[in-house]
Amino acid sequence: MSGPVKGGATVKARAELALNDEFLRKAVRFTTERLRNGKKKASEEHGNWEEWRERGRQIRLHTIAHLDYYLNLFVNNARANGVHVHFAETAEEAVKLTLDIAKHSGARSVVKSKSMVTEELHLNHALDSIGVEAIETDLGEYIIQLAGEMPSHIVIPAIHKNRYQIAELLSKEAGYELPPDTTALAGFVRKKLREKFLEADIGMTGCNFAIAETGSMVLFENEGNARMVSTVPKTQVTLMGMERIIPSWSDLEVMATLLPRSATGQKLTMYMSGITGPRRSGDADGPEEMHIIIVDNGRSLQLGDPEFQELLNCIRCGACLNACPVYRHIGGHAYGSTYSGPIGAVLTPSLNKNIAEWDDIANASSLCGACYEACPVKIPLHDMLVYLRRRKVESGHGNKLESIGMQGFASVMGSAKRMSGIVKLGKLGQKLVAKDGEIRLKLGPLKGWNTYRVTPSLPKEAFRDQWPTLESELRNELREMKPDMLERMKQVAERQKQGGGGGHHG
Amino acid sequence: MANQQQESHAEWLARLAEESKAKQEKFMNGIAKRLGHPRMTSAPAHPYRGAPDFWKAYEWTPEERIQGFTDNFLSVGGHVARLESLADAAAFIAGKAEEMSARTVLRQDDPALAELRLEETLPAGASVSVWNSDDESQWKTVAAGADFGVVQADHAVAYTGSVTVLSASGKGRSVSLLPTVLFIVIPVERIKTRLGEVLTTFDETGREGLPAGIHFISGPSRSSDIENDLTIGVHGPGIVYALLVG
Repeated sequence: MSGPVKGGATVKARAELALNDEFLRKAVRFTTERLRNGKKKASEEHGNWEEWRERGRQIRLHTIAHLDYYLNLFVNNARANGVHVHFAETAEEAVKLTLDIAKHSGARSVVKSKSMVTEELHLNHALDSIGVEAIETDLGEYIIQLAGEMPSHIVIPAIHKNRYQIAELLSKEAGYELPPDTTALAGFVRKKLREKFLEADIGMTGCNFAIAETGSMVLFENEGNARMVSTVPKTQVTLMGMERIIPSWSDLEVMATLLPRSATGQKLTMYMSGITGPRRSGDADGPEEMHIIIVDNGRSLQLGDPEFQELLNCIRCGACLNACPVYRHIGGHAYGSTYSGPIGAVLTPSLNKNIAEWDDIANASSLCGACYEACPVKIPLHDMLVYLRRRKVESGHGNKLESIGMQGFASVMGSAKRMSGIVKLGKLGQKLVAKDGEIRLKLGPLKGWNTYRVTPSLPKEAFRDQWPTLESELRNELREMKPDMLERMKQVAERQKQGGGGGHHG
Repeated sequence: MANQQQESHAEWLARLAEESKAKQEKFMNGIAKRLGHPRMTSAPAHPYRGAPDFWKAYEWTPEERIQGFTDNFLSVGGHVARLESLADAAAFIAGKAEEMSARTVLRQDDPALAELRLEETLPAGASVSVWNSDDESQWKTVAAGADFGVVQADHAVAYTGSVTVLSASGKGRSVSLLPTVLFIVIPVERIKTRLGEVLTTFDETGREGLPAGIHFISGPSRSSDIENDLTIGVHGPGIVYALLVG
């Protein structure tokens, strides 16, 4: 994940850039609020949400704790289904395997459905280097690929672009002028990509879940492009993180209950596909040849680490991004890596094992715990952010002032183990420095934080009890939007209220 | 020449398989070592398998299932028609073909769909193809050019408003994906309450009995990737009719 990071070397610099972009800031806030409300509505409507979260957590904990058994079972079953299974310990190996497959398939083009792993590997760039065109087919991903940018949100990658910018990009591609109208723009993409699907030699997918007992892989999506890439081309290549495993189809019911509701507030995505091997001998569609590349790339470093093993439970829903007040302020690009938001802040340095380089992402967090509350499998991300900061200091990368602060952190963590203790400590300590509800002191243990942004004083009540205030603040901000944009977004929100369900992204 | 190339492709795959098997052991041993236990070779007890118990007992009456399915399918922009018989379903499809001037209809090779006798009921000028009914046609291309796709649901789930279609030689994955308009015939007795009722059947069937493609479809293809504005029919069918029969 040492990929292209645009504009600014540090999270701080990139965040400043992001904060200067009014459109981005408001679009991120609007979208995250919409998704968060969609999730809230969907989880309340479903009911017993805590029981479902706990069940989801238990299934993920169980699978990861016995990963050698379940992954091995998956591999043997997938092979028995006729899949060519490969292992990649590093990003380089995964890229090498993919390019080898592309060369042997004589591929000129690859159509891709959304896959965070391929982003992590910078696979498009690698394919390009051997003259193979890689085409992203998820609407949002296609747009940002044309723009030459990185996704800014795990679920809505083009969150930061407005339809005028999109019309300009697509018009260039079309060779004629397209109106800035959503239906017209999507219609152009449908037509354009239809040709690409039918021409492509390889279809490339990610993998939401892999079912150990039958060797099947499962994809969730709304647009139908993942079905396209796994149905039309002759060869299918699936890149899969080694931790994507669940034991059975029965367990998939729990994941299918948690993932769409947490990601977009849907009861189920428009398509959920379980693919069990290449086409059967009598079939007239589906891939003739199917490869699954199982990628480690730093994941196994978390195994057996009591502080970070639960990171592997992540089901990539993006709910922690939508819940995070910091993400809502600075957007995904500010994190400068494939994975943004709270999960990215922990995952990126953990996968890279280079805390020194990436640690400032961990500082882009208010440790408020909203990410944990939002997580459908209850990953204690806010605790992990503290562990990360502590490790950075322990490994000698912290500055001296911060070290003093971190010694405090370490002793508190040693005895209390949970944030509540630290929060109390903070409440006590801040009495000395808080003025007018803000801490502006650029000295002492908070120095690093305060040069980054103004830290609100720790509230007397917990941050997450203050959502109503935050929401009214957001509503006020939305009022400042351009009237036509505001009107369109209102209409969207209204339609969705009437239509049930939340957003429905690709 | 072709023969030689095919051979070398097969040899290449065989070499990759060898490398993969060798690496598999190392990979799994590495995981076990990190987890701090010896390699696990038998299934561990899994006390949390599947949905919570309270949910497994949740069930709607047949009429509630039809209503629930209908409400959910409509809420995401799908269309629903409640019909008494396959003949009514055929008349419904024929009416839509007339209305939309459909010229090409592609259906799965399925006895119930043959019973629709679309060849006779569709308006003049509309042609009907049956998936994979000859070896010459490029069936994916036929599907991509079809105005209507007609499939029968193998299962349906009321709680999420979803149907399940399973692939087979006569039942192409493309038929529910590539045409502009999709008709899904759903015998009402196939509608279950919960997703789990369908998913557990795949555990019961087991690996060897599963088809290559199992697809849950819950409405028209959609995206909100541009300014959060909902767009229908991005890649898959934008118009989807659930025809509840019985």
